Parts: sequence; C-alpha cells; structure tokens
Amino acid sequence: MIIKMAKVEILGPKPQLMAVLNLLRGKGVFHPEADLRGFVPAADQAKIRELLLDESAVGEKLFFVSLRDRILELLACLPDQPSRTSYLQPLPIVDVLNELVDKHLDHCRNLRRQQQALREEAEALSRQLRFWAALEPLVAGTRENSGLAFFGVTIRNPEEIPTLQALLERQTEGRCRLSTASIEDGSLVGLITTDQKMADKLRQLLSEEQVPELRLPSELAALPFHQKAAALRKLQAEISGKLSGLNEQLNTFAHRWLPIYRQALSWLEERIALYQATATAYETRQCFFIHGWMINAEVEPLQQTLLESFAGQIILAVLEMHDEDFDRVPVILHNPLYFRPFELFARILPLPKYSSYDPTPFLGLFFPLLFGMILGDIGYGLVLGGIAGLLIYFFPERRNLADGARILGVSAAYAILFGLLFGELFGNLGEQLLHLQPLWLERSQAVVPMIFFAISVGTTHVLLGLGLGIRYDFKRKKPREALVKIITLLLILLGGLWLVGELLPVPWQFSMPLLLTILALLPLLILAGGLLAPLELLKSFGNIISYVRIMAIGLCSVLLAQVANQLGGMTGNLLAGFLVAGVLHLFNLLLGVFAPTVHSLRLHYVEFFSKFLEFGGRRFEPLNKHK
Amino acid sequence: MEKVWLAFAAALAVGLPALATAWAQSRIGSAGAGTLAEKPELTGTIIILLAIPETMVILGFVVAAMILVL
Repeated sequence: MIIKMAKVEILGPKPQLMAVLNLLRGKGVFHPEADLRGFVPAADQAKIRELLLDESAVGEKLFFVSLRDRILELLACLPDQPSRTSYLQPLPIVDVLNELVDKHLDHCRNLRRQQQALREEAEALSRQLRFWAALEPLVAGTRENSGLAFFGVTIRNPEEIPTLQALLERQTEGRCRLSTASIEDGSLVGLITTDQKMADKLRQLLSEEQVPELRLPSELAALPFHQKAAALRKLQAEISGKLSGLNEQLNTFAHRWLPIYRQALSWLEERIALYQATATAYETRQCFFIHGWMINAEVEPLQQTLLESFAGQIILAVLEMHDEDFDRVPVILHNPLYFRPFELFARILPLPKYSSYDPTPFLGLFFPLLFGMILGDIGYGLVLGGIAGLLIYFFPERRNLADGARILGVSAAYAILFGLLFGELFGNLGEQLLHLQPLWLERSQAVVPMIFFAISVGTTHVLLGLGLGIRYDFKRKKPREALVKIITLLLILLGGLWLVGELLPVPWQFSMPLLLTILALLPLLILAGGLLAPLELLKSFGNIISYVRIMAIGLCSVLLAQVANQLGGMTGNLLAGFLVAGVLHLFNLLLGVFAPTVHSLRLHYVEFFSKFLEFGGRRFEPLNKHK
Repeated sequence: MEKVWLAFAAALAVGLPALATAWAQSRIGSAGAGTLAEKPELTGTIIILLAIPETMVILGFVVAAMILVL
C-alpha cells in the first residue's frame, strides 16, 4: 500500500533553524521540498526569499568542510582497523584538532612514504634473490679463494646457450665454464666461471653481446661472489624488520587517534549536513520556513515533540493537498506481512505515482495463483515448498533470498492446490502408482477446455485492471479517459458473452442484440478515445488471448513429466528408471520454477498493470541522521 | 489427405510465429544484456521487452489449436 502523506510547513524564528533541522534529521520523517509551488500562494512568494547563511555561518561551514576533508585524508593514510568508541565531545576540541590534524597528516604521510620506499626495495631484493638463490648450488662446488672470477647472467632464450658457450670459449681460449639453472618462473640464470686474468675481457664481451649481468645494490657489489646471496637475505631481513617497525608505528598511532578522529568526522558530517539542509529553507526578516512532506501518521507526534522541545516557538502546519501536488508527493510503500515479500517483484518496476496503486498487493494475490495454474503438480509443489522452507531456515538474514523463498512457498502451495484439481503428482505418476484422479479435469487430455479456462482467467484479470483504471481516471478527474475504459470494458464483456453464445450447442436468442449493441458502442468508443481507441480495444483482446500461455506452458510441463515417467519405465530397471526419470523431472522442475515466474510476471507487468498503474513516483527521502 | 493439410497448416501457424519470436527475442536479448551491463536498474523493463514477442507464438498456438480442434 502507498502510505498516506501530509503536506506540511514548519516555521519559526530564524535562530532556531539549525536546532529544528537537527531534530528533523534525528526523527527521519520529513522530506524537504525546495520548490515553493503549491506551498506558498503566488502572490506571497515575493515576500519570502531563499535562506542565505550569514557571514559567520558560511565561515563556519567552510571551516568544517576543510577540517572534514583533512581528516578524511588522514584516515585514508591510517590502517582501517576497528577502534574503541570515543566519548570526547568534538565541539570543545575542534580548534585543537584543526591544528593537530595537519601535524598528524604530515607524520602519517611521512611514515607511508617510508613504507612505500621500503616495500619497493623489498620487492626489488626479492626479485634479485630469486636469481642469486638459483646460482647458489652452482657456486657451492667451488672454493672461495680459488683465484677464479664469477659472473652471474640471465639468459632470455635457452636456445642461445650453445651460441653463448661457443663465444665464451673462443674469447677465453677455452678457459671458462658456463653452468645454468632455472628459477620458478621458467627463466634461466647462468654462472660463468673463468680465471681472474680473463675477467675484464669477459665483462667487456658480455656488455658488447648485451648479455645482462646480475647486479646488486652498490653496498653489496664489492662482496665476494659466494657471500652475495647470504648478504641479500640479510638485507631483506633488515628491510622486513624496518617495515614491521613502521607498521607498528602506524598501528599504535591509529589505535590512539582513530577513535577521536572518527568521532570528530561523524560530528563534522552531521554539522555539514545541517548546513546543506538549510538550502531547502526560506526566510522572511525574522522567520524561517521549511516545506515538505511527511507520513501522515507521524504529523501529530512531531507536532508534540516540537512543542515540547521549543516551547511553542516552532509551528508545524498541515497544508491542504491539491490535485497538482499528487505528481510531486513522495512515495513510500508499506505492506502487511503476507504481501511484503512480493515487494521484491514490485521493486523491479519504477515507483508508482502517489495517486496510483501499489502493485505489491496485486502481485501478492495473483502471482501465486497464476504460478499454481501453470505448474499445477502436487509433487513439484511439495519439492518447491521444501526448498523454500530450507532457504528460509538457513538464510533468514539474506533479505532478498528469504523474500524469494517466501514467494516460492506460497506459489508452491497454489501448485499443490491446482495439482489436486488436475490430478497430477510428478505428471501421471500419481495416477499410475496411487490411482490419483483429477478433482476437476486432466490437463493433458483437455486442451480446449483449458484454453477457455485460461482465456476466462485473462478476461477477469484484464477487466479488473480496466475497472481499477476507471477508478483511477475518475480519481484524477479525467472522465474522458475513464469513459474510453468503460466502453472498452463493456465491449469486452459483450464480446465475451457473444462468443459464449456462439460456442453453445443450441442457438442463442441474445446473439443478435449483443452484436447490435457492440456495433452501437464502437462509434462511441471512437468519439471518446479518438481513432486509435479501436486499436487499444484490439490490444486488450490481444492481452486476454495472451493468457493462453497459462495453458500452453502448463501443458508442456505436464507432457514433459509424462515423458520422464515413460522413459523411466522403459529402462526396465528400477535404479536406472529412477535415475532417468529423476533427471528429467529435475530438468522439468527447473523449467517449472523459471517459466511460470517469468510468464506470471509478464502477465502482470504487460497485460494487467498497463490498464491502471501510472509509474514515475518520487522516492520518499527524509532528512535522516542514519543514511 | 485433408488431415495432412490441417496438420501442415497448424504446424505453420505455430512454427512461423515461433521463428519470428525467436528472432525478435535474440535481438532484444542481446541489446538488453548490453543495457543491463550499464544500467542494472532497468531489469524490469528488459524482462518486459523480452517477454513481449512471446505473444506472437502464443497467438500462433491458439490459431493452431483452432485449426486442429474446431
């Protein structure tokens, strides 16, 4: 249901404005309206003006905004950890915080910069260590003081190794050795061993051939080759220690200051929001005005609170709502417990206008009914009901899932009901095993009666939609549109009666008068609705025929279930038959959830709601502290 | 022979609209998927658009049933 709203005006002396706004934000029941139209008579609009903050208030607002931005910057520098609640009142310490926040920001930025530099260094060391660690086994067999020179190189392409080997041997006259090892990422490192005399020549050759030599930070470059990997590890451990120290510093700082800054930020945002809320206020020389909308039932409690809090200085007046206001009144939906889950489907649609209807109760009433008519099987209904129960039991806190499960549960109950009427339990399995007989008719054998049944359901649904549309047109004072809908409704009724008469086995004396009445109403329809009105009438007939899908999809479902049973029986083996039939029934059940849902929704959205619902409502967005 | 023609006519009555519906839905479906990637709030509208062409095959089914039964 769409909650009844009140159009209200709040006025009082200007110095009380911020306190009133603060109270309204705390209550969360008032939706402000910046547009004066409909609230103040046009003649009086010149006497009031938009409320402008005085110089000191503007200065204060800018100060708060600047402080908030710097605190946000500081919080972004600090680790996001849970913090204790601070009981410090921010107002007395706001000036101190203003000075402190810059120092703290510098301190934290400095720590973060150091942290970043160390992380980059650690990353580079880690990359180098992978290469040097791979070289370690290669140098393990050589002595440290053997008088040999060692070169570590990276080899991009394994196919280059023979070429490099030949080149090295040629340059050093065979006095060198190349050993290779691979690292985790698949690349290769090579260790070139030669005597000290050849070292310079070899270094020059590697440079000329662009073979990348492994390098180390300058402080480690002079170390003997055998000690380099160990030195790298030591350096890595030192950096890791420094990083831990920095993290500790940041954590200690955050532990000490986060609660205070978070409390201050919350307070500042509250103050800034109050200043922003003044943008919807108007003023005269001494008074302020705020206009807006609120839930009708909340008006009296708010009047009482204002009276108690401001000793009668603030007045909350309820204004008369005019027709032109209905398009602007914000909309809030609230439904009884049974209908509430169906808001899940209503939320897919845009919000209805305030003067229109809430689609939720209609979905709550008719969706499970159409779902049950389409699925119509006791077995499937029981399985779906069980699944719905499990979902509600295990996921009660996941709102959308629990709502969906509740809808599934209600729909499953209707599927069981129609399953009894159609005598279906997993298709014809109930008939075969339990001699289950339909209470009404057997769908797979009664195609034509089911078509008529579906069309009857469609006619009732569309006529109800038209009836609601007529009521809505009268409500918004559009009699011409209401007249078109009345004539359309009559034509559908008379057309239906004429069709019934034609299908009767005996001649019906009312056929001719009915036909004449229909012919007489057609010009009236064109006069009231224009040349396109007959097309709209045809569209309504199309809408009704569209309900045949209830029968068509239902028939597919029951035939597929029968095929599953038949194939299961043909295997000649209990286990294999059970498996084959089970898989097909599972498939049918999946279709049995998806197809009836989509088609029932479509029948509502396209065929039913198009007759009476008007979308385009504004969402109710009250001033609220807890947004 | 008449039965064969009736069955053929019924098959055409439901088959051709089924092809038309499939074609229309394929176009709407791909456009709708693209739309939803940018504006998920249009889910309802896309479902409605996607379901609209199905009326063709339902009408075809009714005609086929009338050919066979009446």
